Amino acid sequence: MFIHYLDLSWRSFKRTPLVSFLMVLAIAIGIGITMTSLSVYHMMSADPIPEKSSQLYSVQLQTMDDGSTWWTEDNMPLQLTYQDAENLLNAPTSEKKVAMMRTGFSVYLDSDKIKPFIGNARMTTPDFFSMFNLSFLYGGAWSKEQEDSAAPVVVITQEINDKLFAGKNSVGELIYLDDTSYQVVGVINHWPLNIKYYDLNNGAFNQVEELFMPFSLIKAKELVSWGNSNGWKHENTPTFADKLQSEQVWIQFWAELNTLEQKQAYQNYLLAYMQEQQKRGRFNRKELEYKLRDVNQWMQYNNVVTEDNKILVGLSFMFLGVCLANILGLLLAKFLRRAPEVGVRRALGASKRQIFLQHLVEVAMLGFIGGMLGIVLAQLGLMGVGQSYDYYENLATMDLTMLLSAPLIAITTCILAGLYPAWLVCKTNPAIYLKSQ
Amino acid sequence: MLQMNNVSKVYQTEMVQTHALRDFNLQVNEGEFIAVTGPSGSGKTTFLNIAGMLEPFNEGEYLLDGVNVGSLNDNQRADLRNQKIGFIFQGFNLIPDLNLYENIEVPLRYRGIKANERKRRIEQCLEQVGLASRAKHLPQQLSGGQQQRVAIARALAGKPRFLLADEPTGNLDSLMARQVMELLEQINRDGATIVMVTHDSELARRAPRNIQVVDGQLADFTLYQGAQTIKTASGV
Repeated sequence: MFIHYLDLSWRSFKRTPLVSFLMVLAIAIGIGITMTSLSVYHMMSADPIPEKSSQLYSVQLQTMDDGSTWWTEDNMPLQLTYQDAENLLNAPTSEKKVAMMRTGFSVYLDSDKIKPFIGNARMTTPDFFSMFNLSFLYGGAWSKEQEDSAAPVVVITQEINDKLFAGKNSVGELIYLDDTSYQVVGVINHWPLNIKYYDLNNGAFNQVEELFMPFSLIKAKELVSWGNSNGWKHENTPTFADKLQSEQVWIQFWAELNTLEQKQAYQNYLLAYMQEQQKRGRFNRKELEYKLRDVNQWMQYNNVVTEDNKILVGLSFMFLGVCLANILGLLLAKFLRRAPEVGVRRALGASKRQIFLQHLVEVAMLGFIGGMLGIVLAQLGLMGVGQSYDYYENLATMDLTMLLSAPLIAITTCILAGLYPAWLVCKTNPAIYLKSQ
Repeated sequence: MLQMNNVSKVYQTEMVQTHALRDFNLQVNEGEFIAVTGPSGSGKTTFLNIAGMLEPFNEGEYLLDGVNVGSLNDNQRADLRNQKIGFIFQGFNLIPDLNLYENIEVPLRYRGIKANERKRRIEQCLEQVGLASRAKHLPQQLSGGQQQRVAIARALAGKPRFLLADEPTGNLDSLMARQVMELLEQINRDGATIVMVTHDSELARRAPRNIQVVDGQLADFTLYQGAQTIKTASGV
């Protein structure tokens, strides 16, 4: 019977093409706008590393003295001081951990064929690549010895490798960053990251860096942060060495804790570390405090998806509701005009349930067609969003989940809108129409 | 076949209460051909709608082929209607978007009959009403008489034991009316029980049994047996 109902629905569509088209258009516009905002929201709130997001923890230490305040919801600084980051890196614990900071260089080759350009760099430790699941096209990460000795080495992205070396294996080649030459030790594969969750300081949706270099170079080359550098008390830091020893926070720190036991052990270690630092005159607080937040908690804590985005999704659903209210009116008119035919069908043996189902199949078909057209409109909407800001480029896309959701939402909402008209037409008294037809 | 005992039907509005049928009693036996006459608004069509389970009644008892209709839910009534009753309407009531074949197919689909069997029955019925060559035509491409023959074919396709006809010749000229009447008589001879509502007294007289409805009650009962006419006030 379902196929028969589909056939009847299609005939009904053809019988009243204008009304049917208006309904499909209303659904399509509603779905198009809803899916545009929902897709962006979905991409913004999607887990960027689902395979291990619950094992990667951002580390926060409460370094401020009692009485000082921070702007975060729990009064905790978002980053670590250099000295804490260095101490935690050197801790005799078994877990993987990375300290990092964003900086940048002018990039050029010993050749006049490539124009110099500004490249973003991430100063980090070698575990960064395995912790955040980066894969290498050529070479690999620098060694621990190179890290310890602040060796002038660099890992570059596939995009930079294409630009500088035409995609060839560039391991061993030299590139110039500012006034120093660095040897390429690895080329990472394209890293399509929608949310730069590992460092949310300068915008969650910025592109990942093009260069990755040893963290130890910060001290050796006196590299300044291209991210945020915040303090909570007045400190005189005329030299770079003073900054390294200051209470300013400017380093991001992550640990990979694979089991609950590992997490508990690390928490114990952090507490012990702060107690030890207290003896040295730091962490002047009654209660020592630290926070370990996994990737999703970290994104939520940093309000990656802003209230505005949520309101936008809410508004778009309200707009879809308005579209559906219009559809409901059109369906009422269309279905009730068909009451005489329904009367005949009832006289010929159709039950109310069969009439109800026939009409629901028809609205579901309208929803499906509207949903499909809505996907096309959503693609146009996403193109527009993508072109409005660079960082929306990766976010303004529909993944498979959203593509499948669009017709599903359209069909479900249309069925909801069609319930009342379908119920109304199936409960009409057929006898009235049989005589008057 | 059909038995109504003290059946009453009241249409209620905020201001007015109208008794369409009151204490209506009638028994129709298997194989009968009954003509129901009466003035406009007397309750003929209400009787026919209740007989066809298209409308509920307020009081009384209605048995169709031994089944107490009052105790059935909507699905059960739809099934019973589909299996036992065929309708023929004054306005034909063919579905305009469906061709003749598809129109006749409607009740068969609701009965869940398989496609092959549907095809066989539809072709047979179209043959019976003389429209086999018009299967793919739309209703509006036919004359009134032809449309009514399609409606009869549709009513027959489900092989009902009980045909309810509401002014089946009301929209037809006399020639076509006679053809349709002959078709109904043939169907009755083949075994179907027919109850036909009509205004046409001449047509009514062709039915072996006439009943007259006045003010929602069975007022007169006439049995035609050849040249003899027997009148009674009882519907039984």
